[in-house]
Parts: sequence; structure tokens; C-alpha cells
Amino acid sequence: MSSENKQWIEVGNTDQIDMEDLIRFDHEGKTYAIYHIEDGFYATDGICTHEAVHLEEGIVMDDEIECPMHQGIFNIKTGKAMGPPVCIDLKTYQVKVEENKIYIEI
Amino acid sequence: MENNINYNIVILGGGQAAAHAATTIRQEDESSSLAIITNENYLPYERPPLSKSFLLNKVKESDFLFYNEDHYKNLNIDILKNEEVINIDFEKKLLESKNKKITYTKLLIATGCKNRSLDLENVNSDDVYYLRDINESIQIKNKLDLAKNILIIGGGFIGLEIASSANQLGKNVDVIELADSLMGRIVPKEIATIVKNKHQKNGVNVHLNTKIISTTKIDDGYEINLSDNSLVKCDMIIVGIGAMPNIDIFKDSPLKIDNGILTDQNNKTSIENVFAAGDVANFFHPLYEENIRLESWKHAQNHGVAAGKNITGIKTEYKEIPWMWSDQYDLNLQLTGRCDQYDSFIKRGKDENEGIIYFFIKNNKIVGACGLGIGGKIGKDIRLAGMLSEKKVEIEEDFLSDPSSKLNKLLKK
Repeated sequence: MSSENKQWIEVGNTDQIDMEDLIRFDHEGKTYAIYHIEDGFYATDGICTHEAVHLEEGIVMDDEIECPMHQGIFNIKTGKAMGPPVCIDLKTYQVKVEENKIYIEI
Repeated sequence: MENNINYNIVILGGGQAAAHAATTIRQEDESSSLAIITNENYLPYERPPLSKSFLLNKVKESDFLFYNEDHYKNLNIDILKNEEVINIDFEKKLLESKNKKITYTKLLIATGCKNRSLDLENVNSDDVYYLRDINESIQIKNKLDLAKNILIIGGGFIGLEIASSANQLGKNVDVIELADSLMGRIVPKEIATIVKNKHQKNGVNVHLNTKIISTTKIDDGYEINLSDNSLVKCDMIIVGIGAMPNIDIFKDSPLKIDNGILTDQNNKTSIENVFAAGDVANFFHPLYEENIRLESWKHAQNHGVAAGKNITGIKTEYKEIPWMWSDQYDLNLQLTGRCDQYDSFIKRGKDENEGIIYFFIKNNKIVGACGLGIGGKIGKDIRLAGMLSEKKVEIEEDFLSDPSSKLNKLLKK
């Protein structure tokens, strides 16, 4: 998709995501993970690149998300796969917050 | 390559612990010469796919190497493949294979485990398959292409994972298990029963409390009489009855061994400058204040990393909470902490769809947990249970048993 086609989609309210936690957001057949960490709100693809498991059940520690199935770890801000068993990075998305509402650019 | 070689650091064994130890050593020490000696013809690779996605042809060998050839070349790590070390002299700091003599200054032993084997009357040992390494997985895969009826002896994790894969490949599968429950004593019976039902629903015949009475060779395989009065015809036999540390070459050496190579919390063995890591090490765990030996993926990785640091002189105490998983069909089972030493348990969740967890409790604290769920359902709570056991947090039964209560709140107390 070219950047011109991107649009900001409303995900929900900031108070829906606890600090150091995430929610799952489904939109047009795709699943996204929206995180709330110390530095703000972030978004990545919502499915682990290793074995197709939803990251929503994962655990957030500092700026990393750990997959619930095999404990693969990704950096929330960059999507980088931090080591085995995961080796493919997660796609990340721009996030903005306006009047306590979270939007992601997809 | 020369037949007499000297390295500053030698890693004996080419599995997961070795790959991570070598890589860690290089992060801390750029100059020491370093080699991994392996009796296999492969670079270190992941083993979990061998019973699952590799058998199902979803991945190929090159997909599950820990690191490719360039990684080791760039880090100046020699990998000596197909080298079976047959003798070791700790005094001379010498390892001998058929054609090579290799001396070292520091040695890491990461030889892993080997499978327990089974002698079956009237059965040619070539017709019995085991699974530990990639060659065995390839042999199983090739035979599965031709075979129709598979008998799996042993209802542990490996046997059941292969049963799940063979079933998904459309084979008729029988699993026999001596005990009255699958997956050993540490998995709660309720969870083991859900797994058993899943296998049966998919068409796998599970025989509990069952042993082999007799075996007869027939044209295209074997006829097996079982103690539950069933007669199973099979053209392939796979045995998964556990493993033991790979320590044969140390038997007449001064190295202290007791259910594996004894080490302290810093990977150090009883011999100076000799370290051990992974499945083969029976290591002192500071949290549990006793030696334990683990056979699991994450332990092999992190114990290898710790060994790499300790070898280069960065004192690193290894005190990870044990954790392992098994995937069968769409079920994911996880164990954490100690699942054999508890006073009582607290149950959370009612079935695999919601995720079911048994927390093992001692002195009002979690010491371990076992969970089962579809996909990653129980992963978060199992991980948090491990953290709570490490922090020795006091728990309340009502809170723990309620699937809607968030366990991470207890961590922040």
C-alpha cells in the first residue's frame, strides 16, 4: 500500500490499555497489537511471526513484548525480533493520541 | 585441517547450548581461538521442529539453524563437524577423535542427552525409530511417507508430538504408555486427560496402563500383542521413553557425575577450567538450593549464554526459572518452576478453550505451574506464575483461581 493510501484509524480510548499492557485491535481482516508503555502508545502487527499466535495474550516488559506460546521477544517500538525462536521482525505502525483517543496509521 | 589442533576454548557438542555459548564468548572475547566440536553433519539447529513442523513438511533444514555459516565465519568460530570424540584426558587437556587430537585451555561440555533405547523381541532394531537429531527426524519422515500404521511406545512429550504429526499426515497411530496417565507424573491428570481426549478425538488410539506382551514379524511389519488385550498391526515403531545425559566418555575420568555433570551455579564442574551447560549439566540452582537437571529448549539456550559469560570471566549466576512447552494439534502445554514438590494446588480456568492452569503451592507461595490452552492462551499466566515463584510472593486462593484476575498485579505488590 502506498503512503498516500494510508489513513488514521481510531482504536479506542487511552484508558482501555493499562500501563505495561496491550490490547488486540482487529480491522479489515487484520489483527494489530496496541501497547501502552512508559514512553507512550505503540502499535505492531498482532500475530507472532513465529507460529501465528495472537500477541494479545503476551506479556509486556519495558519496551518488549513476549509471545505467550514460545516466549519469543520483540521490541515494541521497532518490531525487531530479539532472538530465537523468533527471527522475523514484527511490522510497526505510527500511533497518535488526540483527546484521549488512540489512532493508528494503516 | 591439521590433525593436531590447539584452541583456547573448545565446546564439546554442537547443539543449542553450544551455539549460544560460542556466540556469547565472542561478544566478550574477540581474540581467543574457539571451536565447536560436533559429531553431527549440521550447524547447530533448533530441535522443536523435528517432531512437529519438520515432520509435517512445513519447514526445511535450513529454516531452523540457530545461525547460518556466515555467522560462525564472521565471529571466527570453527565448527568441526562429524567429529566423534572417543577419549578425553583432563590432565593433558586433550580430546581425541578417530583422526584428530585437539587440545584446549578451557573446555565447555554441552553434549546433551541421548535417548533411552528398548529391546523388542523379534523386532529388527533397524525397524525401530527414535527421535533426537535431524538425521533421525529425516529417517522418520521418509518412513512415514511409506508407512500406514504407526506404533508409538511411550506417551511422553516426544511420543505424543510425533503422534500428533503422524495423525495430521493421515496415519493410523497407536500410542502405548505403561503409566495410567500421559506425560508422566508431573502433568496433572485432568490436563493429561484433555490431551488424551484430543488425541482420541483425532483418531489416535491411546493405550494407558499397557505394556507389550509379544511381538511377531509379519510380511509388511509386526503384530503386537498388548496387555490390554488388543492386537496392533504396525509397519513402523517409534520409541520415546525418555533420555539420559550423554556422559559415556567421562565415565572413567575424574569428572564428578551424578545424573549428569555436576556444576555449581556458574557452570563450573569439579575440574578447573572445565564447564558444562544444557541438558548434560546437573547444576546447582540458587533459588531451589539444590542441584537440578533440565531438558528443555529455553534452558539449553540460557544456560549456554551463562556458560559463555562464565568462561570469559564474567561471573554469571544462573538461576532461571525452569520453563518448557509441548505443542500437540492446536494445544499448547506449558510447565514452569518446580512441578514435583508442592503441598497443594490451585486451579484456574475450566477447559482448554478458556485455558486451564494448575498452580503448585508450597507455604502459600507458587513454586510451579502447569497449563494447557488453545494457542497461546495460558502463556502469559504461566510466565507470570514463574515470576511470582521467583519473587516468592504470597498468594490468595480466591484471586489465583479467578480467570479474570490479572496476575501481574501480584508482582507489583
